[in-house]
Amino acid sequence: MYLKLLGATLIILAAYLMGCQVCYLYRQRVRQLEEILLALEMFRAEVNYGLTPLPQAFQNIGIKLKKPVGTLFLNFSSILNQRQGLSALECWKSSLEKGREEFSLRVEQMELLARLGTAWGQGDRRGQERQIALIQELLRQALQRANEEWQKNDKLWKYLGCLGGITIVLFLL
Amino acid sequence: MPGTSTDIKKQICPFLAPRIRKIIASLPVDLLAKTEEIRLRHSRPLIIYWAGGESYLGEDGPVAVPGEAYLLTEDDLKKTIELISNYSLYAFEDEIRQGYLTIPGGHRVGLAGRTVQEKGSIKIMRDINSCNIRIARQVKGAGERVFPFLLDRRQGRVFHTLIISPPQGGKTTLLRDLARIISNGIGLLGQRGQKVGIVDERSEIAGCFRGVPQLDIGLRTDVLDACPKAEGIMLMLRSLSPQVIITDEIGRHEDALAVEDAVHAGITVIASAHGSSLEDVLARPILRKLLDKNYFERLVFLSNKRGPGTLEMIIEGERGLPLYSANTGGEL
Repeated sequence: MYLKLLGATLIILAAYLMGCQVCYLYRQRVRQLEEILLALEMFRAEVNYGLTPLPQAFQNIGIKLKKPVGTLFLNFSSILNQRQGLSALECWKSSLEKGREEFSLRVEQMELLARLGTAWGQGDRRGQERQIALIQELLRQALQRANEEWQKNDKLWKYLGCLGGITIVLFLL
Repeated sequence: MPGTSTDIKKQICPFLAPRIRKIIASLPVDLLAKTEEIRLRHSRPLIIYWAGGESYLGEDGPVAVPGEAYLLTEDDLKKTIELISNYSLYAFEDEIRQGYLTIPGGHRVGLAGRTVQEKGSIKIMRDINSCNIRIARQVKGAGERVFPFLLDRRQGRVFHTLIISPPQGGKTTLLRDLARIISNGIGLLGQRGQKVGIVDERSEIAGCFRGVPQLDIGLRTDVLDACPKAEGIMLMLRSLSPQVIITDEIGRHEDALAVEDAVHAGITVIASAHGSSLEDVLARPILRKLLDKNYFERLVFLSNKRGPGTLEMIIEGERGLPLYSANTGGEL
């Protein structure tokens, strides 16, 4: 009997943790979008006040941010510095490809991130600023949606996990 | 020949799009060593210029006719511009407005494209379709032959000097080497080093990259990079206490006023001007005014008759006496 009770508790706990894992994914998505937005804000400051060249700007930004956003920018900076003759877009794509697994973003959010590649280093200061501002706006909308999704799904998945566990236990009994 | 093929491979190739990089890197060593300019023009053949000639380049090296040469694509130019500007066009707005960028090593890249105007002056250059990479060559010793004529041995100072030559005649090379010689001093002539200030409006003399001179301009030399000449000369006078000010291509009214100020402040001025003869220079009102007032004590004429930097003549400014003439075979 005690053994059964222990088993049932373990099943419910495991199912609850699975629910938490899904919630964690939503939370990570929000955190990563926030980090990207922060990075873009930092980049705008580097462009406007420091006129820092792109590779140096991303080196400065990358070390201040957490994984995986920080790593993405550090990789981008190091590929740019290698001067293999690639365009900024190609360098961005390659660093994004390298870090894709680490991100918990949705496909359309990753596409937004990929679109940033067309903006890096293009045009004069004002042009650069405008391109970044446009993508920042789209990312803000994505962040808002991600936040809503997280709020909505956080409790839902935890309950679902718990209830799923209980259902399995009832079936087994 | 000062530049070597490894200079181009190491210093220029990393700034070229991969296809052009491959073509340039596979050129014969002797051709690379004398290359002065690499011209990239949209949809047109890749051409390099060297002293006295040019070569069309195909994928496998120099070719005889333009039809066989490699035609540059939009991608080639775009990537080259990205590499030259370090992926950061926004950081070089001022330079692009002036029509050039400087890369490490002091090499200058001239740009042409569509300009966008604002209030009558160029705001930014877009759609860059043409790019000229001028290889900076430091000719150490270029000024050694001229320098003894410019030295006032009695007073231990350098004469106010104007260097006159047609384009590509070696003006900037001579100015740079004079800066190095005056700044370091020449023991043999009993000349100690003097403090030199270079006002380098077009980043050509010192070849600065991010403000750091890339060429040897001497121990006691300060450089004001990308600074308008007139303002730069005044700034030097106020704060850097130079004994000699070196600047290139004077021609505007305000330049002349600044030169006058420096001369009256007891500072030696060494400057250059475009022209092939004294008549050319006298035909320009601003320069004529400076010469009429006898500010310049020495006039040095260069040409590219026997390669850039051929010394043609040195005359004493005030009395117009020739001190050196290539026609009569040397010192007079």
